[in-house]
Amino acid sequence: MDPVERLYLDAMMEDPAVPAHSLRPQLLAGARARRRPAAPTAVWAQPYAGRVAAMDALLASAVDDDWSRIIVEGWTLQELVAHLAAKDGLLAASVGAPVLGPPLGATDSMSRTRDVQAYERGRSPEQTRRDWRAQADALCRHLADLDPATPASLDGMDSVIGDHILARGLETWVHSSDAAATAQVRLPDPIAEHIRPTADLCARLLPWTMLFSGLDGAGRTLHLRLTGAGGGEWTLPLGVEETTPGTPDVHITADVVTFCFLLGGRGDPAAFPADVTGDADLARDILTTAPAFSGP
Amino acid sequence: MEAPYDDRLLHQRVVGGDEAALGEVYDRLSSLIFGLSLRVTRDRVIAEDITQEVFLVFWERPLAYDPDRGTLRAWLATIAHRRAVDHVRAEERRRVSALGPRLFEREPARLEDTVLAADEAERVRQAVTSLPDGLREAVELAYFGGRTYRQVGEELGVPEGTAKSRIRLALRRLADALAEEEV
Repeated sequence: MDPVERLYLDAMMEDPAVPAHSLRPQLLAGARARRRPAAPTAVWAQPYAGRVAAMDALLASAVDDDWSRIIVEGWTLQELVAHLAAKDGLLAASVGAPVLGPPLGATDSMSRTRDVQAYERGRSPEQTRRDWRAQADALCRHLADLDPATPASLDGMDSVIGDHILARGLETWVHSSDAAATAQVRLPDPIAEHIRPTADLCARLLPWTMLFSGLDGAGRTLHLRLTGAGGGEWTLPLGVEETTPGTPDVHITADVVTFCFLLGGRGDPAAFPADVTGDADLARDILTTAPAFSGP
Repeated sequence: MEAPYDDRLLHQRVVGGDEAALGEVYDRLSSLIFGLSLRVTRDRVIAEDITQEVFLVFWERPLAYDPDRGTLRAWLATIAHRRAVDHVRAEERRRVSALGPRLFEREPARLEDTVLAADEAERVRQAVTSLPDGLREAVELAYFGGRTYRQVGEELGVPEGTAKSRIRLALRRLADALAEEEV
């Protein structure tokens, strides 16, 4: 900002004043009506609820052209939002939460994506946005009273709802970032409290992404240090059956957000910016296989 | 000038749909925004409306604010100022048109991020030159020289606290001087 303007505004604010009655209660009530806050949910599902609210804020400023622009996978923004709704709906189905949109037929995410996209094509982008948000919020509300260790399944991946919802949060984050890049909007990162459990899931997935890619890390141990807000340190056995880590064979240090996005299928694994000490071949195996679970 | 850490965190929280963060932003900045709106409009009811609207805009469109480009305080103040000035001009137009044909009209086009038109910025610079030397030097160092309160104190050979109160006194005088001219 121009120094003269800053000086002028500061001068105009040199006489702070207080309204006769606090505007706070009516402000918060008005805010709720203008933009829905993150859905109330369990603490462990809040990273997801927060990304849904952020994506919705981004969608709120989308105009007609933005909705028909291709974002990823050859999908327009409207189709991308339908895709998110499709997968959220499948996860909802797996834990008995309401499934919105067209009647549930196929339960793999690509078929369900096609069904929801076909359904949404007949609706306006604004309706698609509302449908997606309604599905996400219904899922959040259902999770409010659920144990995070409740079994849940999506695309044949059997796990617990606590991990599945973190994965949904990561996918929503990655796609909101895709959409923000296309719209040339700067989207701030989630708060550290939301990044941390997401990064933890990503770290715990590494033995599985290796195995899924045909590499067995059994008997090897990774020391992972993720830097930045929400980062931390993990010492991980790389065999999926193992629970106790050994002496680390390799140390990898990387930025926490870049690491989460690597698992989310963004960024070139071969050019992943990381400091590696120890077994360099093992590090390369870990990093190149890391995006194995990232689909559309 | 980049935004401080607090602004970034509150922005992240508001983008993530955290209502409590909006409440915190209101608690921290509402008296400044209301004070500014009141100074420009001289109408408590209008100033309340503008204040409320400014915070609602931040909640509804949080991505319009970019912490890399400035503080939240300055961003909210810019919106409040624009709305307050729009209100005053609309009132002027109403009065003038009630009296008869308009003799002159101020340039209505305003650049998106511009707070002051060229002639208004010039008036602010003039008002700075009219300040007593001790106050003028402090303001010039802080705003045009980019110095901190401490550096201003060092250069003027006074304690930091004195530098700070000189700058605040200068800001107050400037606001009064500019308000007198508007009458």
